[in-house]
Amino acid sequence: MTKYALYPGCVMPTEQYAYEVSIREVLPLLNIDLVDVEGFSCCGEPMKSMNQLMALYLSARNLALAERQDLDLYVPCPMCHLSLSECQRVMKSNTEMRDRMNGMLASEDLQYNGSIDIVHTVDLLHDHIGIEKIKKRVKKPLAGLKVATHYGCHLIRPSEIGRPVDSENPQKMETILKVLGAESLDYPEKLDCCGAMLSANLPESALAKTGQKLQKVQEQGFDVFVDVCPWCHRMFDSKQVKAGETVAAKLEMPVVYLTQLLGLALGVKKEKLGLELNLSPVDKLKLGDK
Amino acid sequence: MGIVDLTSMAEGQTTLRNEINERLSKLQNEISDYCFQCAKCTSGCEAHKLLELEPHKVVALLKRGLIDELVNSDVIWTCMSCFKCRERCPQKVAPVEILFALKNMAVASGKQIPGKYTAMLQSVLSIGLIQDVQIVSTRDNKTKKRDDFGLPGVSKPVDAAKFQTAITKLAVEKV
Ligand code: SF4
Ligand code: SF4
Repeated sequence: MTKYALYPGCVMPTEQYAYEVSIREVLPLLNIDLVDVEGFSCCGEPMKSMNQLMALYLSARNLALAERQDLDLYVPCPMCHLSLSECQRVMKSNTEMRDRMNGMLASEDLQYNGSIDIVHTVDLLHDHIGIEKIKKRVKKPLAGLKVATHYGCHLIRPSEIGRPVDSENPQKMETILKVLGAESLDYPEKLDCCGAMLSANLPESALAKTGQKLQKVQEQGFDVFVDVCPWCHRMFDSKQVKAGETVAAKLEMPVVYLTQLLGLALGVKKEKLGLELNLSPVDKLKLGDK
Repeated sequence: MGIVDLTSMAEGQTTLRNEINERLSKLQNEISDYCFQCAKCTSGCEAHKLLELEPHKVVALLKRGLIDELVNSDVIWTCMSCFKCRERCPQKVAPVEILFALKNMAVASGKQIPGKYTAMLQSVLSIGLIQDVQIVSTRDNKTKKRDDFGLPGVSKPVDAAKFQTAITKLAVEKV
């Protein structure tokens, strides 16, 4: 078993339970041991428009908490992953800022020395667990399932910060899905944004972004839309009906987390993957019924 | 310490404002010069397609020193932080980072905190997270709580007072 501290962030543990449930169910089957750590807070990324310094501090304190456990950090949310990675970079390259952050962290008896690694779901599966190992565990191949992937902006850009997948041609999810037996095809809108960051101040526009992308995916005849971000999933799955109304389209696109599909392919019962929480019409996939 | 009154955040924020000013001058003097107005940033901008944000114009205005105009405009709040402009700029200008600095300045000057941003910040200050645990609905309209899935308690700051003190410093006072 390889141990990681799980950094849940805000959105996953307070509402996107399907992601967390499927992560906790599936990863141990691939010899990943997730350790819960007390005391984490928001990563700071959602605060960046208001106060970048605060965002940096919030990330630094979360990294410090993980470092105290002497564990690398598994971060399922791309926004958190970017925020923590950016902070990691600053703490390593900017001594003045590092001293300043550590000075503030001292009030909570914390400090960060930059020793830990940060992984997301996609690179944890693709690079650390590895495709071969996943392949060996597949029990129920997702034969013939036509999948559209959505990585989420913060997972792929900016590459200057060091992102787990390629910024213009991400293929790691496609590779994973292929060994699960599914058929994963590129589509022109693949790199487009879900709009979630506008939910705070321009919710209608945010939904329009979601609706526009999903409409294109639906038109192209995909069976299912797969994501790996609690913010994106909230838009594409939880708010799909509203997103459809915003662009005057009837959307009926099944949307699932990668970890849910992975679980099904590994033979996990669908009840254990939080599939009842997907509000998009996932029933029509007849997944896990065979 | 109670939760700060964010509407009075502009008071006593001189240090924070100076700091953002420094960041903006740096972006203006050292970085915006590299921009040759190719508009590649705007051609891929997610907010341009929907809301007419033109990141190349933001850079041009910054270069001309029209910072107040930018800070006061609503358009800076239409950026969805997709980072395409930063990724694709041939000159490594990163309009998105300019927009972050401009929005930070708007907030620090007490100018505008649109939509739910204030609520999010209040929540972070009080419980460490942007929102508290929610009751959710299943596809067949049953309500479910986090516990119903056997999930452990949510990780939050253990000593809320200490956490708040540090964050509040960053939000309202000089560091
Ligand atoms: S910021 Fe970069 S991409 Fe945008 S106009 Fe200037 S040089 Fe071109
Ligand atoms: S980060 Fe903002 S300005 Fe840059 S391309 Fe995306 S939406 Fe446009």
